[in-house]
Amino acid sequence: MLRDANLRDTPQPPDADTNASALALGDRERGVTSSETLDPSPHSSPDRERGARGIAVTVRDLHKSFDGNAVISGLDLFLPAGGFTAVVGRSGCGKSTLLRLILGLEAPTAGRVALDAGEPGLRRSERPRRIMFQEPRLLPWARVVDNVAVGLSGIGTKPERRERALVALDQVGLADKAGAWPATLSGGQRQRVALARALVSGPGLLALDEPLGALDALTRIGMQDLIERIWRADGFTALLVTHDVGEAVAMADRILVVDSGRIALDLRVDVPRPRRRGDPDLARLEGRILEHLLGAPQAA
Amino acid sequence: MSTTPSRIRDAALPWLLPVAIVLGWQAAVSAGLVSNRFMPAPLDVVRAGIEAGRTGELWTNLGVSTLRALAGFVVGGGIGFGLGLANGLSRLSERLTDTSVQMVRNVPHLSLIPLVILWFGIGEEAKLFLVALGVFFPIYANTLHGIRSVDPALVEMGRVYGMSNAELFRRVVLPGALPSIFVGLRYALGIMWLTLIVAETISASSGLGYMAMQAREFMLVDVVVLAILIYAALGKLADALTRQLERSCLAWNPAYRSA
Repeated sequence: MLRDANLRDTPQPPDADTNASALALGDRERGVTSSETLDPSPHSSPDRERGARGIAVTVRDLHKSFDGNAVISGLDLFLPAGGFTAVVGRSGCGKSTLLRLILGLEAPTAGRVALDAGEPGLRRSERPRRIMFQEPRLLPWARVVDNVAVGLSGIGTKPERRERALVALDQVGLADKAGAWPATLSGGQRQRVALARALVSGPGLLALDEPLGALDALTRIGMQDLIERIWRADGFTALLVTHDVGEAVAMADRILVVDSGRIALDLRVDVPRPRRRGDPDLARLEGRILEHLLGAPQAA
Repeated sequence: MSTTPSRIRDAALPWLLPVAIVLGWQAAVSAGLVSNRFMPAPLDVVRAGIEAGRTGELWTNLGVSTLRALAGFVVGGGIGFGLGLANGLSRLSERLTDTSVQMVRNVPHLSLIPLVILWFGIGEEAKLFLVALGVFFPIYANTLHGIRSVDPALVEMGRVYGMSNAELFRRVVLPGALPSIFVGLRYALGIMWLTLIVAETISASSGLGYMAMQAREFMLVDVVVLAILIYAALGKLADALTRQLERSCLAWNPAYRSA
């Protein structure tokens, strides 16, 4: 079921995802964002091509050093539009820095990151890149719906922002918490609000910087399923940085192992979705990655 | 759910001690334990208050003092808030002014009274200057501290999510600094009354402090006590208003939410 993928891989074949519209929460972007601004033909069939909204990412010979210490050294990478890629590695291997470089939160020392939204002339605000941080980073003084509307800063009028924020909250199952203060929510609920904030603008690229690390095991599995479901429905490009190899194999269709600022291993996960926890193929893949991380020095 | 009788008890509890003290005081003076040349009975104070209210003397002085307090507060607080914002947001502004402000801050502002009288005489400017100076520092220091202590992770989030600088200030920095600004506000209100009373006691021709000093000249102990009680009431009023403001502005913070 699994094979090594080339660095400059061609976009993957679409997943069996035609039943996405059957998902309870999957319909909203289609109705709201896509037909308004993004989809060139508003009345196209619901099972449009995967990745139609995603941004493709090309990284060429990327270098980044802090105070002379190289964190990323000569990294090449292509992320096809609409793919779900997980980056794993030990602490300090540069995986979070890679994500911040791709998002434009850090400037590279050398090399370049190119983002391609597919349609020339598209304004950046029409297909933004979004990040979900390790912590929810909600504004404690803004109600939940206003926190979600932060994701639409500079877009539309206030009632429009509120309207879309409510739709996004519904998508993460927190419509009833719209008027609550963040302080009254549980950790998992706060992270769901942060997810709604990241998704409300209909991003082309969603970067997830260990967003589930602080959650308990059951809440984490629920969040993984939620993120996967929304990704399958919305078709953005997802880039997940995580410590948790099990999480990476459960969610991603491609896994990059980063070591010393380079990509040490590039694996494709062809296990069909929805994936079952404890699937032997996933377990085998997880074992192989862990073996690599735990110090089998030879290339896999 | 609290029942009505227990709610009344909760509301009455803080007032139990003051009422007991007043009753004991009245009893002590009526029984002749305390000479009313040193300490007038509460009823005498009330009578003095009614008398001063009837002649209009009380309202004039109260009005004059309140106006002075507010004017000094607006000027000093406004400058302190503005400079606190500027120094919190701009390194250059902070490096330019903060050292000087910290040096001046260590001078007790009431020690300037002789100088202020030389400069301004005993007119309104003297009081305005002293109150403004006293109010300036707590507002400045707490505004600066509030802006400094805004969570940088939230600021980064705001930037990543495309907020403009103005939006970042309005939606992230200012609300984040607000709890600290309120601490400064409450300090400043205390200093405002203190400064004004001292200034009016030493050099004035109207106002509550002047009224108390006049009364002392004529040995009207009841009016002196009346003035002191009015200070207490004004202080409590200012504090209650600030609390109310805090409760509505900081409703998001569990520490300030009303029960």
